[in-house]
Amino acid sequence: MRTLRALRFLPLLLAGLPGACDNNPHPRPLHEKRADGSPWVVAYRALPDDPRSLDPQVTYDTLSHLVVAQIYEGLLEYQPFKTDPYELTPCLAGKMPDRTRNADGGESYVFEIKRGVFFHDSPCFTASGGQGRELVADDFVYTFKRMADPKVECPILSTLQDYIPGMKEAYDAARKTGKFDYSKPLPGVEALDSHTLRINLLKPYPQIQYWLAMPFTAPVPREAVEYFDGKKHDGEARTRDQFKFHPVGTGAFCFVEWGRGRLLRLARFARYTATRFPETGWKPEAEARLRPLAGVAIPFVDEVQMPIIREVIPVWLLFRQGYLDRSAIGKDVFGTVMTAGLELTGKYRERGVKLSRDVEPGTFYAVFNMDDPVVGKNRKLRQAISTAYDEDLGNQIFFNGVDINAQQLLPPGVAGHDTAFKNPYKQHDLPLAKKMMAEAGYPDGRDAKSGAQLELAIDMTADDSQARQMAEFQKGQIEQLGIRVKIQENTWTSLQDKMHRGNFQIYSGSGWFADYPDPENFFFLFYGRNAPPEGNNYGHYANPEFDRLFEKMSTMDNGPARLEIIRKLNALLVEDCPIVLMSHRVLLSLSQPWAPRIASNQLAVGGMKYARIDSAMRAEKIREWNRKSYWPVWLVAGLAAGAAGYATWWGRRRNV
Amino acid sequence: MFSYILRRLLYMIPIVIGVMLITFVLFNIMMSPDAMASRHLGIKASKQARENWLHNRGFDKAVFVDLSGTAPGSAYEHTTAKIAGVVGWFFGPIPAENFQERVRLFAFPSSAAGRGANRFDTQFFHSLKSFALFDLGVSDATGEPVLDMFKRGAVPSLMITLPAFVLGFFLSLGLSLFFVFVRDSRIDVWGAVACVGLMSLSIMVYAIGSQWLLASQFMYFPAFGFHLEGGSTMRFVAIPIIAMVIGGLGSEVRLYRAIFLEEVRADYVRTAQAKGASAARVLFVHVLKNGMISLITLVVASLPFLIMGSVVIESFFGIPGIGSFARNAIPTADFALLRADVYVGSLLYLSGLLLTDICYAIADPRIRLS
Repeated sequence: MRTLRALRFLPLLLAGLPGACDNNPHPRPLHEKRADGSPWVVAYRALPDDPRSLDPQVTYDTLSHLVVAQIYEGLLEYQPFKTDPYELTPCLAGKMPDRTRNADGGESYVFEIKRGVFFHDSPCFTASGGQGRELVADDFVYTFKRMADPKVECPILSTLQDYIPGMKEAYDAARKTGKFDYSKPLPGVEALDSHTLRINLLKPYPQIQYWLAMPFTAPVPREAVEYFDGKKHDGEARTRDQFKFHPVGTGAFCFVEWGRGRLLRLARFARYTATRFPETGWKPEAEARLRPLAGVAIPFVDEVQMPIIREVIPVWLLFRQGYLDRSAIGKDVFGTVMTAGLELTGKYRERGVKLSRDVEPGTFYAVFNMDDPVVGKNRKLRQAISTAYDEDLGNQIFFNGVDINAQQLLPPGVAGHDTAFKNPYKQHDLPLAKKMMAEAGYPDGRDAKSGAQLELAIDMTADDSQARQMAEFQKGQIEQLGIRVKIQENTWTSLQDKMHRGNFQIYSGSGWFADYPDPENFFFLFYGRNAPPEGNNYGHYANPEFDRLFEKMSTMDNGPARLEIIRKLNALLVEDCPIVLMSHRVLLSLSQPWAPRIASNQLAVGGMKYARIDSAMRAEKIREWNRKSYWPVWLVAGLAAGAAGYATWWGRRRNV
Repeated sequence: MFSYILRRLLYMIPIVIGVMLITFVLFNIMMSPDAMASRHLGIKASKQARENWLHNRGFDKAVFVDLSGTAPGSAYEHTTAKIAGVVGWFFGPIPAENFQERVRLFAFPSSAAGRGANRFDTQFFHSLKSFALFDLGVSDATGEPVLDMFKRGAVPSLMITLPAFVLGFFLSLGLSLFFVFVRDSRIDVWGAVACVGLMSLSIMVYAIGSQWLLASQFMYFPAFGFHLEGGSTMRFVAIPIIAMVIGGLGSEVRLYRAIFLEEVRADYVRTAQAKGASAARVLFVHVLKNGMISLITLVVASLPFLIMGSVVIESFFGIPGIGSFARNAIPTADFALLRADVYVGSLLYLSGLLLTDICYAIADPRIRLS
């Protein structure tokens, strides 16, 4: 009976367990208090996956940029408040660059680099005992050389090498010898003195300024790249990290740790001076809130914890408990959070949660293969399909009606986007579409000559049930015209192969997210010389008039003359209809009452430095929202005791 | 017995090579090198960047043997072109011409730069060579050494699987003894119903259910995450352990109960009862000891798998263990990680089988290994 007697302690044990536990999913912050005794402020932002790398010259995905852009900064950055249109402002540069035309047809940009900007402290700075040294123009020269190093695998090299002299030659030489020669000067990027940098271009390319606001061109210290080699060194206890896992930049936050699949932790860089809170640009309704912050030293938070949460549901659970400052609104919870009128439900309004809508600077569309003998050679047919497609209905079914029905290729915020523009082939007019089908030579979807029903194939990925439902929807939309549509489901991989080969008729689910808010970054998708496998013109759209205008437009500065050409380019695309425009995506997200949004700028990913958090309010709300219930413990204990009692009784009865 | 074990160990070599062969075939048929590079570099990356990426990792080499420029090479190409159309049909989403090209890459480098120094300068032989030396390579996605990943993943994995295994074992043992003790009572009948009910549900149900109840209704433990920080690490593993224990409970209780019931009907039990031992003593001393022989054999065989973690539970609760590697390696096209995971997994599986046999021989003298 010894076992049964031991069971008596079970309820006690179970009752003690929950008392010792806590549903806080975060590790302890680095400190409890600041040096001056005020509370240590931590921001909690979930990441949907591990970043691929934290090497600024390599990363080309939004997720990695969310981290990299807090640690590294470039010569320029996006003004956080100005999104229509987006605007660049100096960051590590003292002012916007001086631009000069050269005699040889190229141009030069001269940047003055801010003084007193330091790299984060790191053991790689052996000369100063680990203290970060001052940023100089040579760091930029090194960074640009690094982009041309084949071992680094910089994804935008193929774009920049067409403009910056010396990059292609350096790349080719290193591919041949197997080693990049960093001692050789790069003619395109020169340090005129310790704090003046000149970038020379072979031909005019105003978009270079946008690249200078992206992490690719953010300066990295040569010491760090060489120190963090991922090897074990004599006399050191630990193997050194690889540089791509141990970033050292000049940004407002320095890297602390990266527990793979778990957590990325950053801390405020105490010597950060490069920028201050902006003094202008916010919307009038934010005036009272933001005016007091104008020109104040940033960042405001001491630590950023980015837990890596690959599933959707936990983000929501943790947000509801107050453990995350932000959350997107997933499909599963849309009904409980949002009313039919796309407002927050009462429960969350009472909690003080704020809803924000961010328009992504991107466009989704379906691509016609212009080499296809049926859809590629029949403009009226393409226009008819575009006219028949009901984007609003699709938006309602799949995206709760929050997306913007795209009327043009350029998304809102990109120079040249015309809010008033109505695309004549995007007005969902079925009778008109049917009439156009007749003009296209397919009355009621049948070939006017042979009478055979027209058959089209749509290629798309079918990863999940929603993708399949969308495929069914698009099929139904086109079949309204009497066309028979075959859906070809692909894995992501096989769709990539088909795109690169041009082996499709209609490819649905394509889209482009702005690298930078310049129309060139969108229209180049239809530039004749940008066809695969080299480029991204997957539909092989080729129109000499378009190409000519595009070449002219791409090197111009924004202004009325450029706008005129952009209008023409847009009109050509609308009329030729090489794509069925679908939507500009709108992201709905929630923020907690203690972490109100400061700015809504989808391109200024390094915005963490402006974030403010009311820690006291957070602590109070978390207490309020996480009251434990104890009855289940007693229920379990009762059940165990009952079972033990029953067994004792049964044992006695059997023994009798 | 020693020679038996040695022979079994030697048998493992061809089996592991076979497993690797199948992994290479499947992966390279499903994934073209170009798509793999786009997966890592993003769809915006240029052709030059993609080729450079593949070259730096040796993915532009032929997969199995390099027949480029040899006489058998042209025969190979000729044959594959013929059969590709037929075989490609079976692979559904891959068109025949893509299939033909994938099969072509088994014997040809995907670009001129990847041409091998000899016929065996290929992806397959390179990884076999390094695996034989227990060099697991570096992850394609992050460039981190796979061995380091396994080292840091083993701790979180074991922190869940080991307690879940021990707790599950003792809880199942206790419950099955309880049901044997009260056998044929109404509780025993309903217990059987409950166990079959538990067995019928997927582990996902327990994961979601325990997360919802314990984390977001009762507020006992975090819904997600894992951080090693001394005693309070326990709060992160509590729900995963509970979900795993409950998930395995039904079948284990039924199995253990059946084993003990068999013992209860044995002759020595009647002898004990005749000598006047109480029902409790018979059960907890005589039956338990004898039943343990078959139990331990079952249990030891599953030990090697503990280190591989649990794919479902780890991904669901954000435990950065080994179990979540394979699950993350497939969507990210991290072939280096995937093949190392398959390699280590197959080694552990084979050693589990071997361990079972050895345990049987030790526990039951009637079985002899030869």
